[in-house]
Amino acid sequence: MLSLVFLLCSIGVFAQKAVIGKVTNKSNGQPLAGATVAVKGTTTVTATGNDGTFTINAPANATLIVTSIGFETIEQAVGGKSDFVFSLNEATNQLNEVLVTGYSAQRKKDITGSVSVVNVKDLKAVPAGSPEQMLQGRASGLNVITSGQPGSGSNIRIRGITNFGNVDPLVIVDGVQGSLSNLNAAEIESIQVLKDAGAASIYGVRGSNGVIVVTTKKGRSGRAVVNYEAYIGKQYPASGNPFNLLDTKGMADLTWLALKNSGQATTHPQYGSGATPVIPDYILNGGAAGIVGSISAADLAKYNVSDFSKPIYQIVAANKLGTNWFQEIFAPAGIQSHTVTASGGNDKNTYLLSMNYFNQQGTLLGTYLKRYSIRANTTYNISKNIRVGENLYLFNRDNPQIGNQSEGNAISMAYREQPIIPVYDVYGGFAGTAAKGLGNAQNPVANQMRTLGNKGNSWDIQGNVFAEVDFLKHFTARTAFGGTLSNFYYYNYGYRTYENAENNGSNSFSENAGYNRQWTWTNTIRYSNVFKEKHAVTALAGIEAVEVYGRGVGGGALGYFTDNPSFRVLSTGSSGFTNYSYAYQNALYSQFAKVDYAYDDKYLFSATIRRDGSSRFGSEKRYGIFPSFALGWRISREKFMSNIKWIDDMKIRGSWGKLGNQANVDPSNAFSQFGGSPGGSYYDINGTSTSAVQGFNATRIGNPKTGWEENILTNFGVDALLFKNKLDVSIEYYKKKINGLLFADQAPATVGGAALPAVNIGDIQNTGWDASVTYRGVANKDLKYDVGVIFTTYKSQIVNIPGNYFTAGGSRIGDFVRNQVGNPIGAFFGYEVVGIFQDASDVSKSATQDGAKPGRFKYRDANGDKVITDADRVFFGNPNPKFTLGLNLGATYKNFDFSTFLYGSFGNDVINYVRYWTDFYPSFQGAKSLDALNKSWLPTRTATNVPIAENDASFSTNQVPNSYYREDGSYLRCKSMILGYTMPTATLKKYGIEKLRVYVQAANLFTITKYTGLDPELSGSNAAFGIDYGNYPNNQRNINIGVNVTF
Amino acid sequence: MKQSKLRIILAGVTAVIVLAVSCSKSFLDKAPIGSLDQNTLANKAGVEGLLIGAYSLLDGYGGAGGGWQSAGSNWVYGGVASDDAYKGSDPGDQADIVPIETYAPTASNGYFNQKWQALYDGIQRCNDVIRIMANASDISAADKLTIEAQARFLRAHYHMDAKKMWNNVPFVDEKITYAAGNFNVSNTTDIWPNIVADLDFAITNLPATQSQVGRVNSWAAKSLKAKALMFQRNYTAALPILKDVIANGVTSGGKKYDLQANFFDNFNAETKNSAECVYSVQQSVNDNSQGGNGGWGDVLNFPYNGGPGGCCGFYQPSVSLANSYKVDASGLPLLDTWNNSDLKNDQGINSTAAYTPDVTTPVDPRIDYTMGRRGIPYLDWGLHPGNDWIRDQNNGGPYSPIKNVYFKRQAGALTDNSFWTSGVTANNYTFIRFADVLLWAAECEVEVGSLSNAVALVNRVRSRMKDNPSKWVKNSTGGNAANYQIGLYASFADQATGRKAVRFERKIELAMEGHRFFDLVRYGTADVELNAYIAREKSKRTYLTNAVFTKDKNEYFPIPQSQIDLSKGALKQNKGF
Repeated sequence: MLSLVFLLCSIGVFAQKAVIGKVTNKSNGQPLAGATVAVKGTTTVTATGNDGTFTINAPANATLIVTSIGFETIEQAVGGKSDFVFSLNEATNQLNEVLVTGYSAQRKKDITGSVSVVNVKDLKAVPAGSPEQMLQGRASGLNVITSGQPGSGSNIRIRGITNFGNVDPLVIVDGVQGSLSNLNAAEIESIQVLKDAGAASIYGVRGSNGVIVVTTKKGRSGRAVVNYEAYIGKQYPASGNPFNLLDTKGMADLTWLALKNSGQATTHPQYGSGATPVIPDYILNGGAAGIVGSISAADLAKYNVSDFSKPIYQIVAANKLGTNWFQEIFAPAGIQSHTVTASGGNDKNTYLLSMNYFNQQGTLLGTYLKRYSIRANTTYNISKNIRVGENLYLFNRDNPQIGNQSEGNAISMAYREQPIIPVYDVYGGFAGTAAKGLGNAQNPVANQMRTLGNKGNSWDIQGNVFAEVDFLKHFTARTAFGGTLSNFYYYNYGYRTYENAENNGSNSFSENAGYNRQWTWTNTIRYSNVFKEKHAVTALAGIEAVEVYGRGVGGGALGYFTDNPSFRVLSTGSSGFTNYSYAYQNALYSQFAKVDYAYDDKYLFSATIRRDGSSRFGSEKRYGIFPSFALGWRISREKFMSNIKWIDDMKIRGSWGKLGNQANVDPSNAFSQFGGSPGGSYYDINGTSTSAVQGFNATRIGNPKTGWEENILTNFGVDALLFKNKLDVSIEYYKKKINGLLFADQAPATVGGAALPAVNIGDIQNTGWDASVTYRGVANKDLKYDVGVIFTTYKSQIVNIPGNYFTAGGSRIGDFVRNQVGNPIGAFFGYEVVGIFQDASDVSKSATQDGAKPGRFKYRDANGDKVITDADRVFFGNPNPKFTLGLNLGATYKNFDFSTFLYGSFGNDVINYVRYWTDFYPSFQGAKSLDALNKSWLPTRTATNVPIAENDASFSTNQVPNSYYREDGSYLRCKSMILGYTMPTATLKKYGIEKLRVYVQAANLFTITKYTGLDPELSGSNAAFGIDYGNYPNNQRNINIGVNVTF
Repeated sequence: MKQSKLRIILAGVTAVIVLAVSCSKSFLDKAPIGSLDQNTLANKAGVEGLLIGAYSLLDGYGGAGGGWQSAGSNWVYGGVASDDAYKGSDPGDQADIVPIETYAPTASNGYFNQKWQALYDGIQRCNDVIRIMANASDISAADKLTIEAQARFLRAHYHMDAKKMWNNVPFVDEKITYAAGNFNVSNTTDIWPNIVADLDFAITNLPATQSQVGRVNSWAAKSLKAKALMFQRNYTAALPILKDVIANGVTSGGKKYDLQANFFDNFNAETKNSAECVYSVQQSVNDNSQGGNGGWGDVLNFPYNGGPGGCCGFYQPSVSLANSYKVDASGLPLLDTWNNSDLKNDQGINSTAAYTPDVTTPVDPRIDYTMGRRGIPYLDWGLHPGNDWIRDQNNGGPYSPIKNVYFKRQAGALTDNSFWTSGVTANNYTFIRFADVLLWAAECEVEVGSLSNAVALVNRVRSRMKDNPSKWVKNSTGGNAANYQIGLYASFADQATGRKAVRFERKIELAMEGHRFFDLVRYGTADVELNAYIAREKSKRTYLTNAVFTKDKNEYFPIPQSQIDLSKGALKQNKGF
């Protein structure tokens, strides 16, 4: 083999002479470093230096080919000349763009796998703390769901959900496994999404959920460039009464209506006992409720909410109009981001140094994300064939969060706390449900105010160092060592409360810290050559080791002498001291190889194989092999296509391969474990009442036979460039089948309480279409425009899982979701409401139903046995969208630029669980909806879907999941609209400014939806999603101004 | 330069080779950190630890299952499902209890699955003790017997709880494991013989006293066996065991079984593990478990809005139960007419409005140690304020539970402060107390023995109250808080009267202790008693309007549907569901 290589290398050694030249960017005259200059039909190739110059030996009759990423290729006959200047046009099509895929880079036109290329410039149009959120609608095949909470994570799903556990894609940042969530978007050079086996199988056991490959910016040779990029703006929450809640009088009226409808006495601790409710002047005076009149001076003197050694005595005036709790906790909030980048280099070295400050205040009181980050990327050319470099990223993040999507968070309390309760009592203490008859909700303002002293910090070091050596002309060896060291630290203080029906009996404090260390060492050898002008071969082989280790520690204490924030350390508590720690580790060791072969740029073939060994599996099942094959045919290069002028380029491609998944198996899965905890297995065998003796219990049943899960992917695609490169189309169809789905085994309770191991049983099949279409138009010299559409569809079907089904999506009334064989993931399950019982005869002629009564729901007798039982529950909704759409419109007119981006999700159902709390009077004594009073069934108001207002809970109303909660969750949102202006260069030059652009932006300008809740974009788990439990909405309007200036 | 280049290449190549070689198997051997395996536990200390773990699920909390859904006290299934109590609270909170209370539960009701999971988790913890002890070499044969006897006692306890709930339940012994794949155990064979076999082993091998008061002894095993026989209506076999227990039984601490002079000592954490306690779950607080070892199962069952515990207003005694404490002029219960009229209560009266409690109608003094009533002292918390402590009087009625409630003086010391509620207490729940044993014996005497013996046994229980008037609830001036009257039975006219009197005595002595529903089923009178209860109560509790107890169906609860589905057909649903 080697001798063959030498032989080939030696062809055409004679009759050569040195040609020199320089390659520049035509648009600005800057030198282009790293451009490739090749002698056509030979293997002779060189790259330009940092000043754009090159030297190459070429015969006088040869042709030079000059290529560079993002530029159009130039071919030029040498023709006896010995000095050239090549000015390259920026590419209008992406065919020659070189994309970083697995462990290497490829021209887009040579790619046979499925790779979505994210337009990084567009990406930044959405103001957000994390590139994760910006990816929504930017790559075909990718779905992203995020809440509006600053710093919240996102559900990222590439081509649907193929597992109930972790389906997060593998994120590779500069060649090392990393994370998207804390990157500064301004520092990203490129993002590629690898979707099929052809593209992703080189990542083997980690690749099944797809791979997102991120490359950060590098310095360019030339003079130092300083860039400042910033925006500042304000976010506006929903206005008015977004939960459609009753005011104080409405609540009183509804209470009387419900009691009367239930045949119960019209008495209430606040509204008195009479034919009509009386709204009191005070809702609380010491222990007394419902006070009409004034409070005596003697009582006022008893006021006490701070000294818990004496009785709490609170006086709270009624808010007779009604407190709008949503508006009490949400307010407009600022957002800003500043990035300063300095970059440059010389012919040997390049550097890029970047600093970012990001500060997003949440519209919800007490939530924010502040992040400070530094990036330093450098490369050194030690000699012509040896390069070393490093990428380093440090950040510090301060991001206290609320527990989103839970009935106990402030957002849920805003629809649960009654309007008659004011925010504060008469002397400025918090008011709440301590006033009787008003339920058990909590004052959300109090809850959020009390979190203000909490901290949630994390700081990470991410990066890698690498060395590359070119040898024997066609070989490059690369070694890279990198990883992430993440640390987190948070502490929370819990106040002793007094204003609620259910109060904390003590103040409390908890403090927690931990770290995660992950390193990856990758070694690769790459070979690249072209034989006989037409046979292009690239081969890559490598080995990789990954190790993960982490520890965490924390503790808590109770009984703090003072609430003073400076007193808050664990050791100043007085009782209830607890502590814990944990540790985990896992490792991966892999070998891989890839071959790409192209014949005449026409027929493309690619094959990949990877062997992974994972510590997560028992020794019997430790190693897995993941192959893939891909074929491409650039049909436009065929002679018979040459007459079709409107086709500039067309490629048909297909791939098949296996990918692995180990994310859903606990590192301890192979081991049977015992453990114990004070609450779980300790017992006061001595009868002391205040101490417990240590005990043990089985915590996990191991299964050494569990192995990785195999995802078998088939992909077909067509890429085409049409109408003089104006229309760029890429359409793909895929099928994903799981062999040995990793699934926590299910067994009856007779096996005991230990966690069951993940086993390889099951199959989920996904099929779908992805498409991206871009049209770039030029109306005239001044007006250019482009239209981009990203289209994604997937269909997930559960083909096989142990136990046939499992339920998820828990609520106060049971699980809303049943994941069952033959159905889509996350399908909603329960009783289908077919109407409301109108009268006694309607009840008697319908199927027998527990709690049936006029005004209540009539359920569908699905099995027709004339009695409503468990067996009549049906699948009544699907949270998976039929398709999602990203639509990008851009235009430039002279120095103005305009762009807008819309994202839509269509055909997905959601569960508006908020209605459990607000539409049903007996679902806790909280705030209720306008519908509950004004639209609920009455003998005189029968044309409605809202059941009767009453004070009894029932199977036929609010006790079971049913289709009443289902709503259409489709929406179309204008994520961003930007108008920018770039200053004319001539004016700027005087001030030493190279480029200056200013813009105004409106994000989330509008959302078109039928959903009646706050926001149909609802995050969740992969087993249950699309359920609104009180979600931090992601639709807040955001107006920003921004600047981008280069010196 | 050339040299350094070469060195870099050489270093790189060496590193690659070293990595490739060092990445042998050991790199991928990453055992879990911070856990034990079964070899580490196969010794005396380890097996004792596993046994502690098996005891720790007696409260139904801390393993699989829920908290209140799987409470060892069975307040939902023994209490709310019977005529003792309502669900209480507001209509929507813990809505799954409503169909249980109205005898329309579905097999998918989450409460049943949680209870089932908790019990079988407890059972497998017992089995782990037996399985791992087989590999231990440092335990003496005698110690092995005592340990196994405790494990099998507990296994019988958990199985019996399941048997009472569902009747048709699988018996899971130490041979059933996930690894063996034999866990789809059928429920079509009656498991009473297996339960009794475990208890016989325990009776034979348990000592009469234990060094630690929380461990069960041979007398507890005999008592539990008697209970198993009572549930099989085998009075002939039960009676001699009960007589033996009554005559000779001692607690694990060595105290001769006896009734406590102060009735409420049975429900007070300060006087737990008394001579009256046959066996109970030991609960502890402020022990680093963040409340996990306190009475989590009953944490909802406290008055609301500023009362003790502060939450959540569940398990409210029924009006019918209050009426059960009315007595005649000689202080005896109104066996036939008790529910003809209601004792005065403050239903529909706000706490701000005046109310005078009834101090003239004669009542059994146990009433005010069984329920909180407006205007009557509630332990040391002052007078019960009525509606203020009730979450929704329309839904839950006027009364509060009391037997699980702590004293004000104990707050913080015998309650846990880690939570949103202070209702996590060190109060033990007693599974069998001596009064229970005496009344079983009385039942047996009525059925197969002598009526006069039965009278004596019932009177022994009644005498505890009668003979200790100083322990009755007192008002602020030291007088009785109500017109308390309690007398003794002279005789039972006939067997039917005796049966009625003994059963009524069980009802009022053991009310709100999680036994009533199971007793009614055991008697075979659940349909009659509970349908009469519904007829009497539905005008007061509107959600009972359409409730019907169906004979030969509602005696048992539906087997959890998810367990049936997971068992691949090995489990069969109960009749009628």
